[in-house]
Amino acid sequence: MATLLWLQTGACGGDTMSLLTADSPSIETLVRNGTLDILWHPSLTEAPSGRLGALIAEIEAGTRPLDILCIEGSLITGPLGTGMFDSYRGRPKIQIAEALARRARHVVAVGTCAAFGGVPAAPPNPTDCTGLQFDRETPGGLLPPDWRSGAGLPVINLAGCPTHPATITHSLTMIAQGQPLELDGLNRPQTFYGSTVHQGCTRNEYHEYNLEEIQLGGRGCLFFNLGCQGPNTLANCNTELWNGRSSKPRAGVPCFGCTAPGFPKGGDLFRTEKIGAVPVALPLGVSRAHYIAYKNLAQAAMPLRIRNRDMEP
Amino acid sequence: MARTTLNIDLNRVEGDLELQVDLEGNRIVDARCVGTLFRGFEQLLIGRAPKDGLVITPRVCGICGTAHLYTAALALERLARLPVTPHATLVRNLCLMAENVQSDLRQSFLFFTPDFVHPRYAGLPLFADIETAFAPLKGRVVRATLAASRKIVELVAIFGGQWPHSSYMLPGGITRSATARELIDCQDIVDQLLRYYEDEVIGDSLDNWLALNDADAFFSWLDAAPHAASAIGLLTRFARRIGLQKTGIGARHFLSAGAWHDPQHAQVPASLPGAGIYHADSGQLDPFDPALINEHVRHAWYRPYSGGLHPFAGETVPDYQPDTDRYTWAKAPRYGELVVEAGPLAELLTGGDTLIRALLASEGPNTWLRQFARLRRTGHTLHRMKQHLTELAGQLGTPHYLPPPADAFDNGEGYGFVQAARGSLGHWIQVENGRISRYQIVTPTAWNASPKDSAGRHGHWEQSLIGLELADPSDPIEIGHIVRAHDPCLVCTVHFVGRREKHRYGV
Repeated sequence: MATLLWLQTGACGGDTMSLLTADSPSIETLVRNGTLDILWHPSLTEAPSGRLGALIAEIEAGTRPLDILCIEGSLITGPLGTGMFDSYRGRPKIQIAEALARRARHVVAVGTCAAFGGVPAAPPNPTDCTGLQFDRETPGGLLPPDWRSGAGLPVINLAGCPTHPATITHSLTMIAQGQPLELDGLNRPQTFYGSTVHQGCTRNEYHEYNLEEIQLGGRGCLFFNLGCQGPNTLANCNTELWNGRSSKPRAGVPCFGCTAPGFPKGGDLFRTEKIGAVPVALPLGVSRAHYIAYKNLAQAAMPLRIRNRDMEP
Repeated sequence: MARTTLNIDLNRVEGDLELQVDLEGNRIVDARCVGTLFRGFEQLLIGRAPKDGLVITPRVCGICGTAHLYTAALALERLARLPVTPHATLVRNLCLMAENVQSDLRQSFLFFTPDFVHPRYAGLPLFADIETAFAPLKGRVVRATLAASRKIVELVAIFGGQWPHSSYMLPGGITRSATARELIDCQDIVDQLLRYYEDEVIGDSLDNWLALNDADAFFSWLDAAPHAASAIGLLTRFARRIGLQKTGIGARHFLSAGAWHDPQHAQVPASLPGAGIYHADSGQLDPFDPALINEHVRHAWYRPYSGGLHPFAGETVPDYQPDTDRYTWAKAPRYGELVVEAGPLAELLTGGDTLIRALLASEGPNTWLRQFARLRRTGHTLHRMKQHLTELAGQLGTPHYLPPPADAFDNGEGYGFVQAARGSLGHWIQVENGRISRYQIVTPTAWNASPKDSAGRHGHWEQSLIGLELADPSDPIEIGHIVRAHDPCLVCTVHFVGRREKHRYGV
């Protein structure tokens, strides 16, 4: 059984809500079958909040081992480097997070805020916040790039705004069971960040034949004009459906690239930046010349059922 | 008598909350309500494209992102004077109803009832039943609630792709239409929730439950075995046994900006049922006027101004002044001169639920009634979801989105209100040259958790606590009951604490 402490820093609680929507495995299953021993979770623990103070003291003193430290929320360093925009009992949360991380076997950043800074870190970053081991795209956040947890790993970044429910409970189970977690260059587990959001999108035929919508509410692809970042965002949204039902692009909402360190991008989130007729950010790894040639051919091959938008996404 | 100060922090709320109370003996003589987090959302929006609010504002709050999305869309529609089709309003309402049902159920059985499983109550006759039903993550009702709250947000995912945090409502409509496939999926989800609600929560049929219309009828209903053993029966009997019908009076004025937008006549404020200000003492209902909303900063850490400002003139310029009589990052919203309460109790009082009005008339505002009203509202909401699905069946194939003109959002101002789970939520947006120049949000918890205003009037929670007698100041569970019954959501307020306390306890 792995002990777990969940600390919310500059958070909206969305990752906790995502955790509660995971159904296979669910959090109550992981507790009942003995996979996790939740020492503390701000929404789920029945003990009064004073219990957290005692736990922090014991973990810091090394008298209580901690297998998994989950951090939800940005690490707020303002105002003026004090961290006091976000405190627990008069102590900045960044200091608590750092002290607990020093003792934990594994540190897990749940959500893009804890991983990279997220929405509150967007310009002008009014609270001077950062991620745990990244500051947006730059390695090194609250903790330096070469920092390692007790188990010898960097902070495990379960990016997403919020993190996909299945990604949270699967990753925690893998850690608790001692299964190896292969991480990508941004320290996200490969197994959940190993395909693009585009993969499995039900609008793919429209993309394939270059039928690109210019306004929302339609059936076609959202990549060329409406800000969709599905082809260059790594996440499991379309390979493992949300709430067992759907995904944003399937529902006609652009992918905003929320698992990436630059989320949210500046400018206009519902508009694609383009050079000529083609997006600046192409699908991962694709060369511009090849892409333009392929799109021209594809458009010429477009069947009528696509041109007429007969296909239900 | 010597005065001592307690600093109390609360978990099982959305976000971080601290309360400072001054005691004489065991009696609370003053209270200050403070959060512990500042994220600066209103500043993040300035300079961005107007529609970016549809992506950024849902991230204010993980548990009520749909409410923020809906409000942001309404504000842009008002700015650009855009029509909305019945099809779109029906889907929007259904999604918000689903989110509110989720939130009400989780608040009741994940955040509120765990306080009943407290060692102080171990000797009470009902305690064994309470544990079986409400033990965190393990109790019968808790497990059923986890499954039910997971199920109902599937409805949001059908239209929005995911819950939490999506952006499927747009000024002009929604991103995808309902088809017969979706309709049947939604009917099944609502039917499953109804079964859970009838079996676990009320132990009766929804029709019988909603037909209860006065206090006597309710208390005799409560005596029947299946009702007494239901979640709401257990909650009511235990809450009243520990005296929660006598605590937490508060502001005595209730604000609701209306419950649901009428699909046939989408307008602000919402009209199903209607908006209003309900006065507990007179039983009178006044119309709701958004122009009367104003926010004070006299006791908050913002650049001072005198009196209150309407959100269209509002400013949020941090000015941290520790060790003064300012004590919070939360502003104090007022309705004209009135301190008001928002939430399900307000919604049902202004909406005309005769049982809730009767219970208020006989016992006044109180902690149990607030929690009871929340679970009662879930019944009304499920009932309305059934009606909405029937109406939606008649709208299949009609437009779900009317695209606005390209320059619709270049300049102007707009606002919107919805009934979020915790009460009325308002957004105010101003746009200049295609960029957001001001964005102000007044959340339900901002009303309830407000500090003192320029005239020295305490906020609603502060009023609810003053006068309370604590059995044991080192374990002030009474405060946990009172505040959690409001379903606090502090993630949207802003804040930190720099005072020296004498004692500090958690609830």
